[in-house]
Amino acid sequence: MSTMIFGTMIVLLLLGFPMMIPLLAGSLIGFVMIFGGIDQLGTMVQQILGGIRPASLIAVPMFIFAADIMTRGQSASRLIDLVMAFVGHLKGGLAVSTAAACTLFGAVSGSTQATVVAVGGPLRPRMLNAGYKDNFVLALIVNASDIAFLIPPSIGMIIYGVVSGTSIAELFIAGIGPGLLILVLFSIYSYIYAVRHNVPTEPKSTWGDRGRAVQRALWPLGFPVIIVGGIYGGIFSPTEAAAACVLYALILEMVVFREMNVKQLYATAKSTGLITAVVFILVGAGAAFSYVISFAQIPQEVLGAIGIDQMGPYGVLATISIAFFIGCMFVDPIVVILIFVPIFAPVVDAVGLDPVHVGIIITLQVAIGSATPPFGCDIFTAIAVFRRPYWEVIKGTPPFILILLCVSVALILFPQIALFLRDLAFAK
Amino acid sequence: MASRQDPHGPHDPDLQAEVMVPSAVDDIDDSSYVSGLPGFLGVIDVGIARIEAFLLAVGVLLMAANTMANVIGRYVFGQSLFFSEEVNQALIILITFAGISYAARHGRHIRMSAIFDAVPPAVRKPLMILIALVTAAAMFLLTWYSLDYVMTQASRGRLLPALQIPVWWIIVWAPLGFFLTGLQYTLTAIKNLIHKNIWLSTSTLEGYDNEREEEV
Amino acid sequence: DTWRYAFEEAMDEVQGVFAQKFKEEIEANSDHEIQLFPFGTLGESADVMEQAQSGILQFVDQSPGFTGALIPEAQVFFVPYLLPQDEDQLASFFENSVAINELFPPLYEEQGLKLLTMFPEGEVMMTTQEPVTSPEDLNEVKFRVMTNPLLVGSYQAFGATPTPLPWGEVYGALQTGIIQGQENPAFFIESTKMYEVTDHITRTGHNNFTTAVMANLDFYEGLSEEDKTLVQDAIDVAFDHIIEYQKGLTEESLAKIKEAKPSITITTLTEEQRQPFMDTADEVEAEFLEIGGDQAEEILNQLKEDLEAASGES
Ligand code: NA
Ligand code: NA
Repeated sequence: MSTMIFGTMIVLLLLGFPMMIPLLAGSLIGFVMIFGGIDQLGTMVQQILGGIRPASLIAVPMFIFAADIMTRGQSASRLIDLVMAFVGHLKGGLAVSTAAACTLFGAVSGSTQATVVAVGGPLRPRMLNAGYKDNFVLALIVNASDIAFLIPPSIGMIIYGVVSGTSIAELFIAGIGPGLLILVLFSIYSYIYAVRHNVPTEPKSTWGDRGRAVQRALWPLGFPVIIVGGIYGGIFSPTEAAAACVLYALILEMVVFREMNVKQLYATAKSTGLITAVVFILVGAGAAFSYVISFAQIPQEVLGAIGIDQMGPYGVLATISIAFFIGCMFVDPIVVILIFVPIFAPVVDAVGLDPVHVGIIITLQVAIGSATPPFGCDIFTAIAVFRRPYWEVIKGTPPFILILLCVSVALILFPQIALFLRDLAFAK
Repeated sequence: MASRQDPHGPHDPDLQAEVMVPSAVDDIDDSSYVSGLPGFLGVIDVGIARIEAFLLAVGVLLMAANTMANVIGRYVFGQSLFFSEEVNQALIILITFAGISYAARHGRHIRMSAIFDAVPPAVRKPLMILIALVTAAAMFLLTWYSLDYVMTQASRGRLLPALQIPVWWIIVWAPLGFFLTGLQYTLTAIKNLIHKNIWLSTSTLEGYDNEREEEV
Repeated sequence: DTWRYAFEEAMDEVQGVFAQKFKEEIEANSDHEIQLFPFGTLGESADVMEQAQSGILQFVDQSPGFTGALIPEAQVFFVPYLLPQDEDQLASFFENSVAINELFPPLYEEQGLKLLTMFPEGEVMMTTQEPVTSPEDLNEVKFRVMTNPLLVGSYQAFGATPTPLPWGEVYGALQTGIIQGQENPAFFIESTKMYEVTDHITRTGHNNFTTAVMANLDFYEGLSEEDKTLVQDAIDVAFDHIIEYQKGLTEESLAKIKEAKPSITITTLTEEQRQPFMDTADEVEAEFLEIGGDQAEEILNQLKEDLEAASGES
């Protein structure tokens, strides 16, 4: 059954079907095989609707909207000008700033998809202008957004904590180390890329220019205040912060800068709606597919066959990493955590692994999976927002995936990367 | 998307801001949309396209307003709008299903076209017809079962806990959206059968033409 | 045959323990096999319920509160201070209640469900940032509750600002301070780590989280007499098991919380302190009668009678 499902999906995908078709076909075959007919397809519809409905997903269209308004108007470019005034003369400065912006925004919003849109939307054109190649830019944005899962707040860690009975506070702190490590490695790679491809730098700005840039960016600097201050300050949930950004962006562009009129607002809202629909139907179809995998107990079957209980700690950790990595390539990360964690729990216990360490490894794999072909949701989002072909979006990813895999291995071998801060904070 | 204008040029911030303003090429102009259907049906279809576009835009605006209203309610009036979440659910369903049909009209659905693009046009055309027909069939199948699902919901009388309105009110868009999407893919298959060239939708030729940036 | 059983909690939480016992009994006494589907693996509560109604799932465990959208009368379990606060009384109440054993089953049958049993999951407690001893302490406190009109009504009556939030966001919201309180049974506060982000646990005794196990009606009626007995017996064994399991569970969970976070305060309100909270119950009762469906009044009155009977016994 699994072979047939995954086989069909891959073939349909490669033939160039709209991406919803492979996902829908996967669940369709599953339903027919499980129930011996199409009588229960109502439940497939239920799962599609259930997949797009969760309240926390609303942050995605809201950030798309805010980013679109900012990019069409002046807010985004003024903010980027400010960054450029300080780092424009450094090799790879813009790329490193993009990675850092993804980390900060992702950390706070907790949504990798929102990060792709909100940071990538304004910064991608500027990076192209600066001479970076698109496949590098797209891959950087898609992969740097992964860090959203590792730095608190993180839905993935919360779900893991609840299912495995692990302290969420400890998980949150333990995620910071690996998150920053990835940022550093991405920054190094960006620097190497800029040197090797000889991306031109700008002349160093004078302090006068910098002052002018700060002045021009004063209003738009309200955005990071709303997002970081609003969320960490306990005023907004991430979704609400997104809506507040929309409101603020509208005030700036329509009233302060007078860059946007009602007609353009309508066009922006429509374009946001279109992108949202194209991404969300895939989220819904993915949910229906997850249901089939879960219902048919396919993971239990596969994992039962490989005899994990015979392995030592490293074997267990490697198996967990691979299982989550592969699972998240096809299925929604939350569902993967919900299904896999209970299966692995007894083994983790038996070999005496630290559940916080395991949780961080899992979160990292989940994050990587969201940016990995074929069905990573960040890839969909990037395609929809940037309107670039699938292939172009993923072409530049291998070096990033390689870095992430190295971090995964390092995390298995050196738990202290994650546990150092935890032990410090909780005096263990 | 901003075009790449002289990357090595001087950087006057004001000029830069101008370069950054995205050109409107990305926005779909509904007034120039031509339906795939002939005559009177075409007029209706263009009308539906306008309605879809309107629902998309208004859905997004309402979602922003609703979410902000909840925040304002909580801080200014000390009252959370506990139906706010359900309103957003209703809106996201509306947006998604108005949008999939609108996306199908304009060939905007996400696909992996690497292999498709590599094969010769003689193969590409029948393949596109196959894709359109299979997609249409899948959409019609889901139309039927989502209609069935909506009716089941209606018969069970499930209510949204906060709004206390029937659940089926907010999901009626599903069968409608699937149906209109199926219709668009059917028309795309027909368009490919009777016209030259390869069509992604009734109004869109394949390729990311209008903004394909040259590979460096 | 393979029977599928879904519930709303993780495997080692109360509903999961019940389900595992049920599975053990069925599999020990027959050739049937039971597959268990914990929280979230088949969709949200409402989705899982629909799957049980359409026969994809044979068994489902769902709290009546969540069932309220379908069976409005089931929301009666959200009326505060209706259920006994004493554990033994509570067990005998669930076993003997006329409302539960006679009035509710036909309501579930109308929805294509066979009500097999209801059982308590533990006293609901508030966890908050500031200590709570009276409704005044809840003034202006943004309190997360499930999206149910009666729960919202209860906390409004207590003086709080009820704030709906999806479950996944509650931990983060308590940490950053968007909300300052939430309520749940002790085992759940422990397993979901809510104590990490709040400082005070208050036992107001206003409710006991209740849940119900159901079977798909067509499936159940199609069973042989032998299998029906098998299912009923397994339910009875699991019920006794879960009542036994829960003896001391609340205290155990609280002890674990105290060990993990010594600074937390756990306060049991006295009768006098509870009185002002109890005084608000009438308001919520009235609201229940309004939205609780055709049989709301009958069920409410019967439950009160059952309650008196239960308190007489022990
Ligand atoms: Na985060
Ligand atoms: Na990502």
